[in-house]
Amino acid sequence: MRRVLTVLSTLGLALSVAAPALAQQSTLEKINQTGVLTIGTRTASPPFAFVDKQNEWVGFSIDLVEQAVKPVIERKLGKPIRVEKKESTPPTRIPLLTSNAVDLIAGTMTDTRARRESVDFSLTFFVTGAQFLVKRNSPIKGIDSIAGKRVAAQQGSTNAKIIRERMPTARLQEFPDQPAAFQALAQGQVDAYTNDGIQLYGLRAKAPKPGDWKVVGDFFSYEPYGMAMRKNDSDFRHVVNVGLMEAIESGKYFELYDKWFGPKGETPYPLTPENKRFLIMQVVPK
Amino acid sequence: MRYEFRWEVLWSGQSGAWLLQGLLTTLAISSLAWLLAAGLGILSGALRTVPWKPLRAVATFYVEFFRNVPLLVWMFFWYFGVPPLLPQVAREWLFDHGAEFWAGMFALGVYHGARMSEVIRSGIQSIPKTQFEAAVAMGLTTFQAYRLVIVPIALRLIVPPATSESLNLLKNSSVALTISVAELTFQTRQIETYTARAIEALTAGTVVYLALCVGIATIMARVERRFAIPGLIARGG
Repeated sequence: MRRVLTVLSTLGLALSVAAPALAQQSTLEKINQTGVLTIGTRTASPPFAFVDKQNEWVGFSIDLVEQAVKPVIERKLGKPIRVEKKESTPPTRIPLLTSNAVDLIAGTMTDTRARRESVDFSLTFFVTGAQFLVKRNSPIKGIDSIAGKRVAAQQGSTNAKIIRERMPTARLQEFPDQPAAFQALAQGQVDAYTNDGIQLYGLRAKAPKPGDWKVVGDFFSYEPYGMAMRKNDSDFRHVVNVGLMEAIESGKYFELYDKWFGPKGETPYPLTPENKRFLIMQVVPK
Repeated sequence: MRYEFRWEVLWSGQSGAWLLQGLLTTLAISSLAWLLAAGLGILSGALRTVPWKPLRAVATFYVEFFRNVPLLVWMFFWYFGVPPLLPQVAREWLFDHGAEFWAGMFALGVYHGARMSEVIRSGIQSIPKTQFEAAVAMGLTTFQAYRLVIVPIALRLIVPPATSESLNLLKNSSVALTISVAELTFQTRQIETYTARAIEALTAGTVVYLALCVGIATIMARVERRFAIPGLIARGG
């Protein structure tokens, strides 16, 4: 049902944006007035943002907002604020932002140049790349062995786009969300499912029998995740970035990383020294 | 922070080709599903009025079961639920030959067949009972009476609601994107993916659906006038 609702809400948004008279208020003013920071995030992208077994909406991206970004906004406004979460999917997240329905996208959104024409991005808070999830005994080893194969991808993701360009003979089937694509893989409708490597590890970890699945192939894309916000609002962007920088500097970021990606986390995924270095180098001096 | 429209994304790059491809898929899946729905609808609509209870019961079961479960569930049922019931060879063949298209087609056709059935039943029930009795009195069997008299009259009576139902079918074909059928709505999202211009892409999709539906409605209005039964239907406009 959620999918249908998504389609409907997107259409609704299209209509509401077509109507004139959008408030020309900055995001910080909006938060100051309402006392609420509304974020658009995912419900099935573990460990970044998902609904867990206790039916709570949690994840690494959500923690970053609540523990790194929110305190800095509160400091800036001088008053406590609340974080409200809304579902956003690849096709809806940009319209949700531009229509003011959400203030910040914090999920699994890759920062790309095309997207930067419509929205602004924060610092990169996670780095991954596209790979394939296949059955344990599959002959598929990476992007070079998918010619003629049926490959599922998530619609609206950057990975599908790259496969279409680099391996046009692969038979791409795009699903609106992760559970449907994984189900198609489990039943054999498709031979492989491509998504950002970390998400595939997350999916595998949550599968009933993780041992039946493997993640294969070198990264065939570069996927730097950023938080997206409305274009040309540099005050808000700065506050978000300061939040992320302070978290990296103080070690809070690495604590959270360990909570979600550490050996005991939702999806064990060690932080490589390069990535750690990259994160630290994004922090500009005080 | 106003949204700046950039309509040129719709005619630059591959957008046009995608929209056309999506349109063709939407038309293909909708027309096949429509044929299925019309067949099932006429059959079960007629069966619901025959003077033999077991047949009525079967038809009633079909209608109530299929129209009272959301279409989205049927999409998943035909795509994920049915293939495991097939023998391995058939399943592999199907997966290799557009399983999602056929699953979507069946989901749409069977669901709308149940809804179409009610439209046809109401048409049949609006025909005076004496028509049927007269047909039987002339020596026609029940089957012949339905085939030659009752159903043809009913079909001429129900053009307006059947048109509505057909347009619903066409628009509901967009639900097939959940099982990866690359129809029109899917392609508008595709444009969004490549250009990050969601509102322009959705508008393009909206305009195409609107044009398609208005076109069909116009044709059906002509059909309605052409086939109206003189003396039975008051002609409007």
